[in-house]
Order: sequence, then C-alpha cells, then structure tokens
Amino acid sequence: MKPFPKELSLRHKRFLGRLFPGDACLLTPEGAVAFGADSSRCFAPPFAVVRPERLDQVRELLAWAQAERMPLYPRSRGTGMVGGSVPVMGGLVVSCLRMNRVKEIDPDDFVAVVEPGVVTAELKALAAEKGLFYPPDPASVKISTIGGNMATCAGGMCALKYGVTRDFVLGLEMVLPGGRVLRTGGRSHKNVVGLDLTRLLVGSAGTLALVSEITLKLLPLPESTATVLACFGSLEQAMAGAHAVFRAGILPAALEFMDDMAVKAVALASDPPWPETPGAVLLFRLDGGSAAVAVEAERLEKVLSAVSPLDLIRAQGPDEERLWEARRLISPASFQFGPDKLGEDVAVPRGRTAEAVAGFRDIGQRHGLAVVCFGHLGDGNIHVNIMYDARDQAQNLAAARAKEEVFRLSLSLGGTLSGEHGTGLTKKDYLSWQLGEAEMEVMSGLKAVFDPAGIMNPGKGW
Amino acid sequence: MARDRPDRPEAFSEEHCVLCGRCLEVCPLFAATRREELGPRAKALLAQLMEAEPPLTPRPAAARLASLCLGCGRCRGVCPQGVDIPDLVARLRREHPGFATWVWEQALTRARRTWPLAARAAGLAPEGLSPERLGLTLKCLAGLRPGQGPGRWLTVERFPDQVRGRDALLFSGCLAENVFGHWKAAARRLLDGLGARVAEADWACCGDSLGKAGLARAQDRARARNIEVWREAGRPLIAVFCATCLSGLSDYAQDPGLFADRAEAEAWISSLAPLSGLLKAARFVLSPDAPKAVAYHRPCHADRADSDFELLSLALGPGLVLDTRGQCCGFGGVMQLAAPGLCAEVAARCWQALSKGPARTVLTGCSACVVQLRASAPEGVLVGHWLEIIS
Repeated sequence: MKPFPKELSLRHKRFLGRLFPGDACLLTPEGAVAFGADSSRCFAPPFAVVRPERLDQVRELLAWAQAERMPLYPRSRGTGMVGGSVPVMGGLVVSCLRMNRVKEIDPDDFVAVVEPGVVTAELKALAAEKGLFYPPDPASVKISTIGGNMATCAGGMCALKYGVTRDFVLGLEMVLPGGRVLRTGGRSHKNVVGLDLTRLLVGSAGTLALVSEITLKLLPLPESTATVLACFGSLEQAMAGAHAVFRAGILPAALEFMDDMAVKAVALASDPPWPETPGAVLLFRLDGGSAAVAVEAERLEKVLSAVSPLDLIRAQGPDEERLWEARRLISPASFQFGPDKLGEDVAVPRGRTAEAVAGFRDIGQRHGLAVVCFGHLGDGNIHVNIMYDARDQAQNLAAARAKEEVFRLSLSLGGTLSGEHGTGLTKKDYLSWQLGEAEMEVMSGLKAVFDPAGIMNPGKGW
Repeated sequence: MARDRPDRPEAFSEEHCVLCGRCLEVCPLFAATRREELGPRAKALLAQLMEAEPPLTPRPAAARLASLCLGCGRCRGVCPQGVDIPDLVARLRREHPGFATWVWEQALTRARRTWPLAARAAGLAPEGLSPERLGLTLKCLAGLRPGQGPGRWLTVERFPDQVRGRDALLFSGCLAENVFGHWKAAARRLLDGLGARVAEADWACCGDSLGKAGLARAQDRARARNIEVWREAGRPLIAVFCATCLSGLSDYAQDPGLFADRAEAEAWISSLAPLSGLLKAARFVLSPDAPKAVAYHRPCHADRADSDFELLSLALGPGLVLDTRGQCCGFGGVMQLAAPGLCAEVAARCWQALSKGPARTVLTGCSACVVQLRASAPEGVLVGHWLEIIS
C-alpha cells in the first residue's frame, strides 16, 4: 500500500478548491490548525479542511481520497474527550457542520432523519415541539452533534432508563472510501434482515465510513419530569441511598453521583445549588405522567430519607435545569484542581459500582493526586478525572500510573476501559488489555472490508 | 504524557482554555458561518499555538484570523475557566500592529464603494479615517443611511421626580453627536421633562470600539478626556442612551489608573445612569397609530437587567412581542473594516430571528445596533432607537 501523502500537492489543492468552492475549502495553515485539537487537548495539524454540504460532494471526496490515499478525519464540533477526531496522520478534516439539516421529524413513524452536523439539543427541542422525545443526553448535549454522538455511541444521563445512542439509531446512509453509498437499517423500529451493520457503525469513531444521514428512533415525550438532588455527608451514605432506591423498585430516568471533589469543583466554578457543602451528591430525574411522577417523587424522597440525607432539593419544570447544570459543569470545573487531566470513563457491572469508586479514590490517594469521581451511578459508568500538572515530571508519572491502575481495577471487576468516550488516542495503547487477539483480528478484517486503503481516521489503534 | 499528547504545545499548560467547547453554543459568528476556525475556542487554541516556541502556526496570519471577533462577550459568560476571549482579541490586535494596518488597508480598498455614502452621511473626508473618529467611521461604513424611522407614537404623560433639580450631563455617543442629532435632542427633552439641570459637555468617544480594535492609546486619551469633563462639571449624573457606550463607560472602573482613588472610581460608576432607567416611573400613553407588534433587539452590551427592555415592556405592554436575546446584529466594531462579509452573515441570521413574529417595527437601545439593523433590514421593516418613538 502506498504511504500517506506528506502534504497537499498543487494538484490536490486544485481538486479540493473545485469540489468545495469559496470558504468550504480551508487551505491556510492558520485556519487548518484550529481543527487540530478536540476536548482531549491532543493536537496534530491537518493539511486542510473541507466543508461538504451535499452527498455528491462527499462521494466525490471519498473516491478521490481513496485513490490518493489521503487520510480523512470526520469532525463536527470537536468536543470528544479522547482525541478521536485529532488528525494524527495529517490529511483532511471533513467538517460536517454544514450538513446540519433536520430533514424530517415524523410523529406517526416516531423517527427523525437528520444530517450529522445537527446539534443534539436542537434535535431534542424540535422533537419536543411535536410531543416527541430523543432521550440520549451526553453532558455535552448543547454543544455536541448527532454525528459525533453516533460516532462515539455517546451515552449520557438518561442511559439508565432509555439506553445509549446506539439504541436510538435505526438506519444510516454513509459513503464508503471509493465513493460507494451504503444504506443500512431504515425507519422500521424492528429489522432483522442481514447483519446489523447499523450497530456496527455506531461507535466506530469514523474509522469505517463517512456517515451522511442518520435515522433516529423517537419516543413519546413524557408529560412531566422532576429532579431530586440529595446531599449526603459521605460517599458511603450516598451509595446506600442509591442502593435503597433500586431495592424499592424505582427506576429513575437518570441517577448521577458526585463525590466530594466533584462537589468542591462545582462550588469553585459556579454558584452551586446546595446550601452547605455536602460530602457527596446524588441527582435523580424522574419522568412520566404528571400524577405518576408526583407519586414517584414522594416515594423516592421517603426511601432516601431513611438513609439520613443532609438535604433533599426537589425541582420541577424550568428550575430543574439549574440542578443539572451543576452536573454538566463538573468536567470543565475539575480543572480547578490542576491544569491537566486524564479523564477516564470506565464502566463496571452495576453491582460493583460502590467497590469501584472506593478503589479509584484509593488510587488517587496512594499517588497523591486529586481524583474527581462522578457520573452515571445507575449504569456503572464512572468518570474518573485524574488531575495533575504536566510540567511536574513526578506528577506526570504518578498520573500515568494512576490511570493504568484505574484501568486494571475496572477490568478486574468485569468492566470496560470506556463506557461512552471511546478509545481515540488517549486509550488506544490499552486496547489489548481488554480485547483478545481473535477479537482484534475480526475487527481488522471488518475494517479492511469497509476501508481497504485505511484512510478513515487512521492512527486510532484499529 | 507524551502518549496522550502527541504534539502538545508547551503553551497549553500556561493558558486556561481547556477546549471544552461550551462557547460554541453561544458565539453568533460561529452560528452564522458554521466555520469552526472563527469560534472562540479556535481563538484560544490559535493564541496558544502561535505563542508556543517555536510557533506551531505562523504568527501574523494566526493573529489576524483570531482577531475576527464581534466582541459580543457571550463566550465569556459561559466559560467555566473564566477565559475572556474579547480581551484576548483586543490584546492580539494591540500586540500585532500589522493588524491595524491590514484593517485600514481593507477599508481603503473598499473606500471607493463605501466612501461617498459615508462622506455624505457624516460630512467626513477620507482623512477622517483617524483612530479618534473610529467609532463614527465604523458606523458610517456599516452603510449608514437615513432610512425610515419607526415614527413617534409614545407620549410621556407624567415624569417622575427622582432627578428633579439634580445636575446632569448627557453622554450621547459618536453617532448622536455627529449624525443623528434628533436622538440627542429627544434625550435632552426627556431630561428637561425629568427636571434635571443639564450642562453642555464636550465628550470624546466612550472608547469601547477603540479598545476592542487594539488602539489602546487612543482609548486611554478618550477615557482621560471624559473623566476630565465629568470632574470639571462637579461629578454629576451622566445620562446615557446607548447600551454600548454605557458598557464602555462602566469599564473605566476596571482601570484604577484613571481615577484619583477608589472612591472616585466608585463615584464614576454610581454617576452613570441609563436614560431609560430614569424614566421607569414615568407614565406613558400610546398613540392610536402605534404599531400593534414591536420587536426588541437586545444589544450584546446591554447589562443583565437591560433597562431599555424594561422600559419598553412597561410602556408597550403586550405590544412588545419579541426579544432577540441570543442574537447579535453583527455590527462588530472594527470587524466592519476587517471582514464586512462576515458581519453581513451574522446580520442575516439576526433578521431570521427578528422576522419570526408579526412585528414590522424593531427597536433597540444601542446606536451601533440601529445602524447595522437599519442597513440590513428587509423591505418594509422600520428600525429605530427607542428614543425615536417618543413624541
């Protein structure tokens, strides 16, 4: 196979300028570098950026890129946490921000058909106007896109009750390297004809094809929601609270937790919703019919009261947002404890969550590092932010060791290296810790079928 | 960890931006163009990359790209790290003197097309393109045209007494001083109605556009001049009717070198009053020919309370049907010179929002917004400062 190009030739530039006229082709080095990083803060500059708006442009681009063996890095908002969209082999960033049409929201079929650049919160709002509900809600819901959510199989807070992005993708239209269009699934909610290529694509991080259209499943919008924020003196008490809620047969739409460090980070970065600083916080969302939600909220508070919370704050309607904003702030706010972060998002079987969190905090203490634990308690997906200062060599080493210990502990509990961020650059070297030779071989085979020249998001480990 | 950061520039650890992207939700320039390189996060990244040693991107070109900012300040409001992008942009414009030269070159190459219009409107000659006249020049280049005002259909029936007998100065801003004299006259009549004793004052520009354009010395001169005017008048109340001027004047307090001591800086802040705020307790009567539906464009530089909006809500009641809280008009100060095409794209998006309701009259409280909206308004839509509706 011929090597990747080292730069764009004049001929390349002429082709791109013709296919993407005006500001749809960005060739200046200062313009292109702005697309070299994502929220992982990994950085590598691409050669150039193109902004397709139509399927025929994507087809021509992918035919050309395969012939030239030009790496392509699909990207929308670049809010990924693991460097998944960082163009480590040069090549072109394909910005999907101008493929941002909501083509259809159908209240009879309960589907939405969208292009990858649609912001997730905007789709949720448009669906809600028609009494429909798109549940996935990653913390980045206001700033990330359906395309990015699909590529990473983003989870979010409501995954506990409703599932993750993959559970809502019914069909895809994509362009394969070489320019062939592939349509998988469709708008039927059930479909078992052939292999499930749709599920294969969701979470494939742009390594197989460039997705140009996504058909999503929608649900009826719950009539009402309520949020309960429960403050506890200690993490152990909070865990006991969560346990009690499940035991009582209550399935919240979301159940998030924050440890004492997450609580402190939020308090430092904003005006927190709790009256006095708690040792741990649980955040519940209930949804359903109005009467049912009211009864369920009463029950929830009663069950929680039995484990002596410091405070129970209930909000309904627009007031709920303030409580959830605190949760969404944790990730950026954790930088209050150090200028650099290793942000891990391991997941463990639900029954091992308490053990895992205690273990992660121990790891932080042993290495003398601030470790912030928070996340999706209900489904065992725990965000472990290891904060450090990269300028300090000792802290660098300690953080690297702590990260590996977090991975080992998760795997030993039957868990996974990543619940929703993906592996990108920051975890690609650990793939073999979790995947065996046979699994890797099958994955490589699949990759070769979709992308024989290896031009789709290369450098990410598989 | 090298493994995590394949090519991590040193400067990352110095800067506060963590590239989370929360600013992308609110940036009007990014929303209108869908060009990520124009967003606030890209500006922070570009600054870090070009300040690395050796630079990871060519400095003058990166500074120029990062300088393409409307200065609305929304990103500052949502940043969990407290990064101030408009401030970064002003610094880049200041530190890269090539920027100012480039901007003026851009303006001059367009002068043949824009100049006759600007000159007719403001009586300016090309030599008027001096930093001191920047604010006015920019507004003229934005396509200043008399346009059709919204008409007079609101009468003040009774004025409150809260400033009756007090000494006051009127800060009208560049545009009302030089072009829209009837705004100044209307404001003056209102102050008379309020019973304030208004003295004449020879103000300089508020300095806001100058600072954001990177013209720090011209801004310092304007600020010093204005404080002197206020001192000479005995530190009276200053009534202001442009939201951006009010914001620019309020910013003086952040530069302690301008004032004798802290007490004087505090006195300056407490002397600044939006004219609309002074009228809040007034009683208004709508004429029968008042439009049934009016939209309000909220200026980016309005403070959180936005007393212009409060006043219009009180005076117009249910007639005020739309408030464009999330939109920027796209005026953008020096951006009018640097990249008028981008300004026009942002204006078009603002008009999409303003055109959603039934209103064919749009009011606002910032002179730059009036100029930009009037220059870009769809056929048949009337745009004006709220002062213009008062008879």
